[in-house]
Amino acid sequence: MRYQAIYFITLFGMAFYSMVDTASAQIRIAKPAGEKIGVSLNGLSVEPGPAADLFIATLRDNIERSGWLTVAGSGRADVAVSGSVNQRRNDVRAEIRALGVHNQQNYLRQAYRHPADDVRRLAHQVVDDLVYAVTGHRGIATTRIIFVGQEGRNRELFMMDADGGNFEQWTRDGSVSVRPRWGPTPDKVTYTSYINHFPDVFLIDLRSGNRTAVAEYSGLNSGGVLSPSGNEMAVILSKDGNPELYVKDLKSGRLTRLTHTLQANEASPSWSPDGRHIVYVSDQAGPPHLYIISRQGGPPRRLTTRGNENVAPDWGPNGLIAFASRVGRQYHLVVMDPEGNEVYRFSDRGDASYEDPSWAPNGRHIVLGRRENFRSQIYIIDTLGDPPVRLTPSEGEWLSPAWSPHQP
Amino acid sequence: MVVLVAVAMVTQVTGCQRRRASGAGADGVSPVRGMPADQVYGQGLGPRFGMDGRQVEGQFQAVLFGFDSSQIVDTERAKLEDVARHMRRNPNARLIVEGHCDERGSREYNLSLGERRALAARAYLIGLGITGDRIQTRSYGSERPVAFGHHEEAWRQNRRAEFVIVQ
Repeated sequence: MRYQAIYFITLFGMAFYSMVDTASAQIRIAKPAGEKIGVSLNGLSVEPGPAADLFIATLRDNIERSGWLTVAGSGRADVAVSGSVNQRRNDVRAEIRALGVHNQQNYLRQAYRHPADDVRRLAHQVVDDLVYAVTGHRGIATTRIIFVGQEGRNRELFMMDADGGNFEQWTRDGSVSVRPRWGPTPDKVTYTSYINHFPDVFLIDLRSGNRTAVAEYSGLNSGGVLSPSGNEMAVILSKDGNPELYVKDLKSGRLTRLTHTLQANEASPSWSPDGRHIVYVSDQAGPPHLYIISRQGGPPRRLTTRGNENVAPDWGPNGLIAFASRVGRQYHLVVMDPEGNEVYRFSDRGDASYEDPSWAPNGRHIVLGRRENFRSQIYIIDTLGDPPVRLTPSEGEWLSPAWSPHQP
Repeated sequence: MVVLVAVAMVTQVTGCQRRRASGAGADGVSPVRGMPADQVYGQGLGPRFGMDGRQVEGQFQAVLFGFDSSQIVDTERAKLEDVARHMRRNPNARLIVEGHCDERGSREYNLSLGERRALAARAYLIGLGITGDRIQTRSYGSERPVAFGHHEEAWRQNRRAEFVIVQ
């Protein structure tokens, strides 16, 4: 794959590297961009067996995917992991210690116990604990990604771990599902489904498996996304005669209409991290562009001016907005601050387009659909420069991924 | 022939969502001739129907749209007049207008664009005397193409409004 990433200001890169966590006395390890912290696993004693083997393989893989760490030989390691991994009946037990090679800092000393048939999740947890202990950043190994897959003529929801494992189909509706999005907690997802023959917005509670319609008005219901408080939902409705942006209070059911553009389309709202603003798509000036409006309503502010069109915004936990920007016939991934300064652009030197980006909760990685020759696959892009990684099987049509928040 | 190739290239680049979808842009043209754009998109929808009842698809020809337009062009008007005639003769019949887009562009944006196509067709039928409460809209965006293939002819057939009669 040929691609190019352009950083516009160093501030963006530097922000990630303020590594000393003032909240704790622990000394973190900091490296300049492009250099990773070497972790040696040579001191880990593993009792061979299928579960322990899978644990170690997943541990190595997830360390590489973390962005901050890499598995290194003892001579080049900054952190030495030691301890033991073994299986007792149906459980895997792990004792993990992590010691700074140069500073003798005791980063991690933790005992784990987890069902052997779910040992990948145990490895995810160990990697996230290691990443946090060493760098002060919360890891992404325990997060999940929900997305849409083509099933014949229909489109269903699927889910996987952030490393592509535990791949599972979530709906079997024989219907169309469109662009799922996570709520503020990893147990809530909203999406648009035609299961009742019209485009309605549903809220899924992943713990109970319950699914309830939260917008089923006449006409179009789409783009539903929960506010950071979880009490409200931004949504596109056409019940009053034209697709417009509304906010629905989920307790009272009360609707507030935010846009009044009878000559234009609105689509794809996304909340600011503080819940006070919403970025969305509108074609009121001709081609689709991004606008920001207050939760209270009032005049919107146009955010984007460059590109043939700008669509599918995702306002990340880092305060930055990722979206797809069409240049010619290609869509680029663009990251912009709310003042309209472009801080990052990722594009393909070939024909591929990048669609429907969604921030990881670490504010560094982005999951998106990569479309080439009219076929879409799901990839992770690292805004700090690690190469793109494909998550979905090469067969099939996979699109519109959304990255979960952290586990509480 | 040279001209045809040039047209195909331009449309391939511009896509479903190039211009203002309503067609009510700087030129002030309403999607429905003789009806102000604000009136076309200012008529709220009645209570939803079509969850049950006998539904007949494919009885009428699909109305086709230009790329990124929800304008009812003159050559498509006769198709809507056929639908209106049926609705007048069958006062108990109700109608779902389905709006569709070609495959290009953002899927969520295309849901809104398809809805505006369906709403334009609905407004035209209201202008022909059909009561608005008898007409629902359903946008499929680019999710339900009728022509497969990634070329202008397929895209042209997919930018459409279809009519489903509910008895």
